This record gives sequence, structure tokens and C-alpha cells, in this order.
Amino acid sequence: MKKLLVIYCFLYFFANSIFANEVNVFTSRHYDSDVQLYEKFTSITGIKVNVISGEDAALEKRMIEEGNDSKADLYITADAGRLGLFDKKDMFQNSISTIIKSKVPENFRSENWTAIAKRARIIFYAKERVSKDEIKNLRYEDLSKPNWKNRITIRQSNSVYNQSLVASLISNNGIVKTEEWVKGFVNNFARDPQDNDRAQILAVASGEADITIANTYYYALMLSGQKGKDQQEAAKKVTPFFPNQNDRGTHMNVSGAGVLKTSKNSENAIKLIEFLLTKESQEHIINNTFEYPIIENIEPNELIKNSNLGNNFRQDLETPVKEYSIYQAEALKLMLKAGWK
Amino acid sequence: MEIELLEKRINIWYLSSLIISIIVAIPVVVISSSFFENTSEYSIILRETFLLDYIFNSLILLIGVLSLTSVIGIGCAYLISFYDFTGANFFKWALILSFAIPAYIYSYSLSAFFENYGTAYSILRGIFGEGNHNLYIPKLDGMLGAIIAISFSIFGYVYVLTRVSFHYQSQNLIDLGKNLGFSKKKTFLKIILPAARPSIVAGLSLVAMETLSDFGSVSFFGVSTLTTGIYNAWIAFDDLTLANRLSFYLLIFIFGLLILENISRQKAQYHSPSKDSLKTKNKIKLYGYKSAFAFIFCFLVFFISFIFPVVQMGYWTYLFPKYLFELNLINLLSNTLILVFFSCSLLIAFGILSNYGNRITKSKFLQILTTFSISGYAMPGIILAVAYITFISYLDENLLQLKNYNIKSLFIGSIFGLILVYFIRFYSLANNGIKAGYLKINYSIDESAYLLGYSKIKTFNKIHLPYLKNSIFLVIILLSIEIVKELPITLIMRPFNFDTFATTAYAYASQDLLEAAAAPAIMLILISSAFILITSKLILKDQQ
Repeated sequence: MKKLLVIYCFLYFFANSIFANEVNVFTSRHYDSDVQLYEKFTSITGIKVNVISGEDAALEKRMIEEGNDSKADLYITADAGRLGLFDKKDMFQNSISTIIKSKVPENFRSENWTAIAKRARIIFYAKERVSKDEIKNLRYEDLSKPNWKNRITIRQSNSVYNQSLVASLISNNGIVKTEEWVKGFVNNFARDPQDNDRAQILAVASGEADITIANTYYYALMLSGQKGKDQQEAAKKVTPFFPNQNDRGTHMNVSGAGVLKTSKNSENAIKLIEFLLTKESQEHIINNTFEYPIIENIEPNELIKNSNLGNNFRQDLETPVKEYSIYQAEALKLMLKAGWK
Repeated sequence: MEIELLEKRINIWYLSSLIISIIVAIPVVVISSSFFENTSEYSIILRETFLLDYIFNSLILLIGVLSLTSVIGIGCAYLISFYDFTGANFFKWALILSFAIPAYIYSYSLSAFFENYGTAYSILRGIFGEGNHNLYIPKLDGMLGAIIAISFSIFGYVYVLTRVSFHYQSQNLIDLGKNLGFSKKKTFLKIILPAARPSIVAGLSLVAMETLSDFGSVSFFGVSTLTTGIYNAWIAFDDLTLANRLSFYLLIFIFGLLILENISRQKAQYHSPSKDSLKTKNKIKLYGYKSAFAFIFCFLVFFISFIFPVVQMGYWTYLFPKYLFELNLINLLSNTLILVFFSCSLLIAFGILSNYGNRITKSKFLQILTTFSISGYAMPGIILAVAYITFISYLDENLLQLKNYNIKSLFIGSIFGLILVYFIRFYSLANNGIKAGYLKINYSIDESAYLLGYSKIKTFNKIHLPYLKNSIFLVIILLSIEIVKELPITLIMRPFNFDTFATTAYAYASQDLLEAAAAPAIMLILISSAFILITSKLILKDQQ
């Protein structure tokens, strides 16, 4: 009995897993719905999915330092810039199978990683305080103009979503113009940047600001009633608007995945990515996280459709999301220099 | 003769103390090595833009938290130790419950209550009907929110340590004030407070370290402090070198504060209570408005620090019970308890070993070395964990190069590795707690024991241990709660499929589902409260 206990303790402490047919996932996405998908994957393929979730930079550092000894097979995170940066460190292998290629549009993947879901960073405004003329054909670029003085709220510059947005502006308009833009934009802030995207939308609803930029799923979460009745009502006071519809389209970001160079179960990892790109998985993702599907012909969630957040807007398909990583640091530099807290 | 002397000095006690000190010093060594590497352009950008802001904010936060924790911690300890008023016996232990609430969960509660269309709004709408009540709700966010959240979740250090010190102050000291014709206020300021200073400072330095290395609350409230700079350097500019350097400066600053305090303290002499003076203290009975004031003061602190976050989390759990039912309670509980059990055992055992070793060898070198152990507590948890990972990786690749043994998977991503990093993080807590107990045992007792023919082990078992029991219990509660609440280290160091209540709460909170985070948060609070209630009874009983 004692021996058994010792063996058990040893296994508990030192052996991470003893399954042969498995895939080890490091992810900065913490959704329960993702875990449900992994469970479904296991029930179909018999491949066990082991998960460690955490903050992206910390997970990346751990994989880098573990090096060849790392057990990680697949890394999933929610920003194209971070995926690109990790790729630049030569951490991914080319895992883009023909199935992945056939399903994911080219600008939403690189050689070594692919998007599994899309996010749109759009404008939300208060109808009674923003005129029709002001909102008509609005572009991100217009938000630096003086008519928005003291009317804009947005989260801090250390938000990676803001960094990617500004990176996409640099990619399209160049550094000099973007620097000008950031200065004007920051000058229009109604309050010091703070809190998450949902708090920005609530600030517009309560009258602290007239307009904000936020990811759509925060808004959908409030509309769904998961944040209580009062926030559901508050969300209805705010109108979503997709900017840049007459040129390149609305800024898109992604949740994406890549197989590690040192992966010992790379086949399983690719299988898991392909599974996440099936119709059923994509529907599961959009219905739970309110992101946008990455493959075609997926009906949007009812809630999304009814609140004018559906698929029928022009997405920025010109700016490859992998470029965000090139300009992210530069973007933050401009933001900090302009006094964006 | 010389060899004999050497043998006498380098014995097992000396060696084990040395080894512990070296392990605990790993993160400091790693982050100080950053001065031999190049940093990115962020160091220049930071200097040109927000560096002064960050330093200023860190200082304001520090001053704010130290002031607030002093007022509520010392205030409550004073009222409860010297006066008898309605509820005093209840508040004596109830105020310790604030330890059960981690600063990040306190932040969730504060923000959820006071945000636009938050709980406060719902209450006002319930009473006054529709209307934009947001305008009348104070915005407890930003710096104010951070100060409140951090203060009310960690003032317990000041309260507990000050109360113990007040408790052991002899009646003679108070009578002295009376005989000198001092007013109560003057007695408090001139005699009682100075005599308790070492304990108050010990509590405040723990508070200072937690405040300066906090990232969870300040980022939640959008306050940019030095830790924001550390994070930006590492995460956005991919410049861990600069992040490490900034952490090092933070450490230097904290050491500077501690040294300053030490120097100023050495000028003063402190009264150490003799044992027979303990039992004689009479509490002053309060009546009327004085009693009401004492009650209201303690009640407010108890309400704000414990009832408020518990009710907010409980309200959500009640509204969304499915998140509670979805929790894998047995699994989360056993994971949490295993971490607590093994980490506490290890920390206590080595804390005793090291203190005993220092006592026997009387080595100044060892004593200085162990002071550095405080660094584990004074740097952001995540930076500590990353320093540890970097060290193991370096050790494996450059020094050991063992082909057949996989050092990394033994030390990174295993329960063993996780416990080892907890050890580094919390060693100063264990060590200093036990040291405080040892300081009360006079050296002459040891010598008498040896004369009586006691062995070193027997001296420890029969003489030290009974004296140390209280300190050890106190350290066990503090450690257990710290480990139950610990988040950044657990997140990065844990093995696959390993969750605790803290990581589960974090996972929900990071999806902006604070409602869902409430269920694991409530469980976490329950467990910590249970630890407090079980052990506090033992401690309170012993004191009486």
C-alpha cells in the first residue's frame, strides 16, 4: 500500500501525462466553449487534449525557455500581432495543410499559423449626441478631427487590440501620417483611458463620452443579458457602426493557432486546427464567444444578426493581419509619445 | 585546531541555511544579470514619456495604501486590544477574515458595484425608478479604486501584527503613562505606539512590498505604475531585459526603505515584555457614544473589507448559479489543498531549519544572506516565475547538459516546480514569522539546556518548539491563504489540465465574465476563511 502511494505521488508530481495519443495546447483564450470543443475533438478522434491557459507573453516565454524539451504542440492566442511576433522567433513550424489553405482566406493566415476566428474592432456611438452627418461614411482616420474634441473614450495603449488597430493604420497610411493621427485622436479624449472595451461602451451609454472604439463581442455579451438587465438596456442606448466601408473596410483581428517547431504530436495538432475549422466548431465558437467565423457560409448568431452586427459589412481584406506584428511596437511608441496612457 | 574550527562552522546547519539562501536568491541573480545585456529603444521612449508619471503614480499608490492601512489596521488593533466595547470579541477575529479576499477579487467587486450601469445603479433604479443614476454614483476607479482595493485586502497584516504587539504590551507600560499624568491620547502616541513600532513596521513593509509589486489591481483600474512599465517593456516591446532592470530598481527601492527604517530603529531601545506582565492588562470598558464609535469604526472596516466583496460575489453566484454547478469542486479543492499542504510543510520545515541554523552558528554572513530572501516577496510574481524559468533553462543548457535527464520538465510545468517557486516567493514570510518567535527565546535558555546535557534536537523539541507554536500557527495561516489566493505564478508554472480556484476565477474574469468568476471566487474566500477560523481559534485561545 505504501509503495503504491509513493508511486502515485511520484506520478502526480513529476509526470505530466502518460497518454500516448494526445495533443498539448498552450492557450491564452480562456473560454469554456473552447474546452467543450476540445472534449468533442477527443470523443471523435480519441486524441486527448491537455491544456494550459494563461497570459500570452508568459506562456510564450515558457515555451521559448523550455525549448526542445517543451511539451507544447499547439499555441492559440487572440491577437494577430502576438502570433506574428512568436513566429518571428522561429517557434512555429509550417503547419498550413491544404485543408486549412482551402478554408482560411490568405490575409488571415501566414506560412506558419492560421486564424480560427475573427474579431471586428468597430465604432459605437450615442445617437442623440452624434449627428447623422458626423457618422456618415466615418473612417478611423476621421476621429483625429477637431469636431470630436472631448468626445472619444477608449481603453489604454497597453491593450494589444489598440496596438493592432494603430499597426494597421501604419500599414495603410505610413508612420508619419499615423503619428499625426494619433496626436489628434488622443487630443480628442473625453477622459483618461481606463478599463476594458465594455466599460467604454457603458461610458458612451451614460453620457461620459459620445463615441468609442471597441470589439463587437463585448457589445454582444451585454445584449445577450449575461451582464444583467441594466447593462442590456444600456447597450441598446448605443449604436454600432462599421467604419471605413467606402475604402479598405473595418479593422479585423483574429484568434489564431500555430503548431510549435518542437512539437512531438504535430499531426494531432494539425488535426485539432482542422477540427476547429469545421462548420460545427465554427458555429459553436460564434454562438458562444460572439466572434466572427473564419470560414464561409456560416450563419451568424441570431443576436448578432438582429443587432446589426451581422456578416454583411466590408471587412478589411487588404491588410494582411500578419503585418500587425511588424508595426505593433512602432504603434505603441507613437501612442506613448502622443500621451495615450 | 583550524580544521576543527572549520568543521565546527561548516556543519549541516550552516550548509542547509546556505543552500536555502542560494535557492531563494535565484530571481535576484537573474534579474540583476540584465545589466549585462542590451535593452531596446523602449528604455529611451519610457524616459521621454511616462517614466516620471509611473514613478509618481507608484509613490502616490504607496503613500495612499500605507496611510489607509495604518489608520484602519492600527486603529482596529488599538480599539480591540485596549478597550472593551460591544462586538469587540467578534471583531477580534472577524477582522482577520479580510485576508481571505485577494486584491484582484476585491477589485472585481469594487468595479462591478460602482461602474456605469453596475450594481449600485441597479439598486438606485430599484428604489427611484428609471433615470441616469450613473451621474450620482461616485466613480471608485483609477487611483482611488486601486488604493481602496489594495488597502482593504491587505490591511490585515498591519492589524494582526500590531494587535499581537499591543497584546503583549504590559500593563506597567500603560500605568507609566497614567503616572506621568499623560492623557490617553498622549499615552498612545508617546508610549504605546513607539513600543509597537517594530511590529507595525513589519506589517507595513509587507503592505509596501505587495503594493509596489501589484499588477492585478492597478491594471484592472488602469493606473499606470512602475509595474505597468515592467509589463509594457516585456509584453509590448519584447524587452525582458528592461523589465528585469526595472524590477531590480523596484527591489533596490524597497531595500532602501527597509534599511532606512532599520537605521532609525537602532537608535531606539525596545521594551521586551516579561512573561508575568502579560496577564495583568485590564481593558477599559467603553460606554455610550464612545462604545458606539468603536463599534462603528470596526464594523465599517469589517463591512468594507469582507462583507461587501462577499455579498457582491454571492449576489452573482445567486443570479447565475450554473457557474457554481459547473465547477469541478473536488478537483479544484484537492489541487488547492495539495499545493497548500506541501508548500506549507516545506516552508515551515526550512524556515525552522534556517532559523535554528542561524541561532546555532551565529553567522553574520548567513543572517545577511537570509535578509535577501525578502526579494521573492518584493517583486511582481510573474517576473519571479519568469526569472526562475530562465534560470532553470540556463542551468540545463549551459551547466548541466545531462542528456538522459530532462531537468526542465522536472522543474517547469510540474507540481514540484510550482511548489519550488512558491517556496522562493513566500520564504521570507515563513522565515521572518518564525524569526519573530525565536527572538522571544533568550540565548541563555539554550546554554542552560546544553549544560543539562540536552542534544541540539532535544533542545529544539523540548524548549524551542513550545515557544514557537504560536508563531508557527500564524505563519501557517498566512502562508495557506497566500497560496490559495496566488495567481500569476500558478498560471505560468502549472502542469497541463491543472486548475485552482484562483486560476478559474481569473479565466472567467479575463473573458469579462465577472459574474462567472464569482463562483470560484466565493469558494476561494470560503476556504481561506475556514483556514482563518480554524487556526485563529487556536491562536486566540493560546493567548488568553
